[in-house]
Amino acid sequence: MKKKVISRFTMILFVIGLMTAIQYNTINEPDTRDTRDIWEIRQELSREKQLHSELLSEISALDETLAKYEKAKDDSPEQALKETVEELRETAGLTEITGPGLQIFIEPSAEAIVTGQNIEQVSPELLIRLINEINRFNDIELSIDGKRLINTSPIRDINGRTTVNGLPVGTPPFEIKVAAGTADNAEKLYNHLKASSILDSFYIDNLSVNVIQPQDEITVEAYDEELGINYLNAMEEE
Amino acid sequence: MWLAILGLILGVSLGLLTDIRIPPEYANYLSIAVLASLDTLFGGIRAHLQQVYDDKVFVSGFFFNILLAAGLAFLGVHLGVDLYLAAIFAFGVRLFQNIAVIRRILLSKWAEKKEIRESV
Repeated sequence: MKKKVISRFTMILFVIGLMTAIQYNTINEPDTRDTRDIWEIRQELSREKQLHSELLSEISALDETLAKYEKAKDDSPEQALKETVEELRETAGLTEITGPGLQIFIEPSAEAIVTGQNIEQVSPELLIRLINEINRFNDIELSIDGKRLINTSPIRDINGRTTVNGLPVGTPPFEIKVAAGTADNAEKLYNHLKASSILDSFYIDNLSVNVIQPQDEITVEAYDEELGINYLNAMEEE
Repeated sequence: MWLAILGLILGVSLGLLTDIRIPPEYANYLSIAVLASLDTLFGGIRAHLQQVYDDKVFVSGFFFNILLAAGLAFLGVHLGVDLYLAAIFAFGVRLFQNIAVIRRILLSKWAEKKEIRESV
């Protein structure tokens, strides 16, 4: 009698174990397979390579600063510090930038003027797309309708008005100034924008984007407001 | 008792090693079936401890519960009512009750044994 009971339990437990294991197998399916082909992997590799080279150049720039400090330690430490501060202010966008670049005019399209349509403001989404398109290139500094775009600049709708840095952007026409670092870069940006599909997106909103030929001297305004650094604190000296 | 645990281990290892998979759509049914079988198992253990164990009831209950639960889930899917919740609820509650009864029985047995030992 006892033996029979145990054999029954064994059988049932065997079935339970099997079912649990199958359920476990089913739930824990293996991760999705890597289906990238050679070309995609190559692209990824080239992206990583680019990142690598950018990091290397950053390291060399920092090394240079370090060497400068070392050299200036004896004669004039203030000078080196001042230079660094100036560099940082430039990076943060607190100084005017003058250099090769181009101007972009956002204007009402000719068709809209002829048919007498109301000219609406540029929507933030469209403006962000355009800025992203421009920012594909390195060393870009730009201002929208005189408002300098820095890393923390918001582009958003406030009470129905498109604003940059919290200040409203005028209804078209207005101007976007772009400093591209080098004339070469500016030329590339010009060509890229001319061929970009973003112009069509503007046309849907009855706007036309007029990209002016690159110039040698474009002055991008400085960021003229307080930088909100609520969460940055000076380190306590030891 | 060890033989039963060996059966469990054998079942699990067989399932894991053969790497059998069912289509993900049926995973729901299998999970309910596992729950139903666990319920039957603990019911069987309880019945055994209470000396009311019946072979036929145990084995038929095992398969019948599994089929009923899966069938209820199937019906629920086709009617758009989450009937499998009813199965999960019923089996879940019963599982807890059974385990509680088993615990009480084992505790009282243990206390009895201790008393006898102390009196000796």
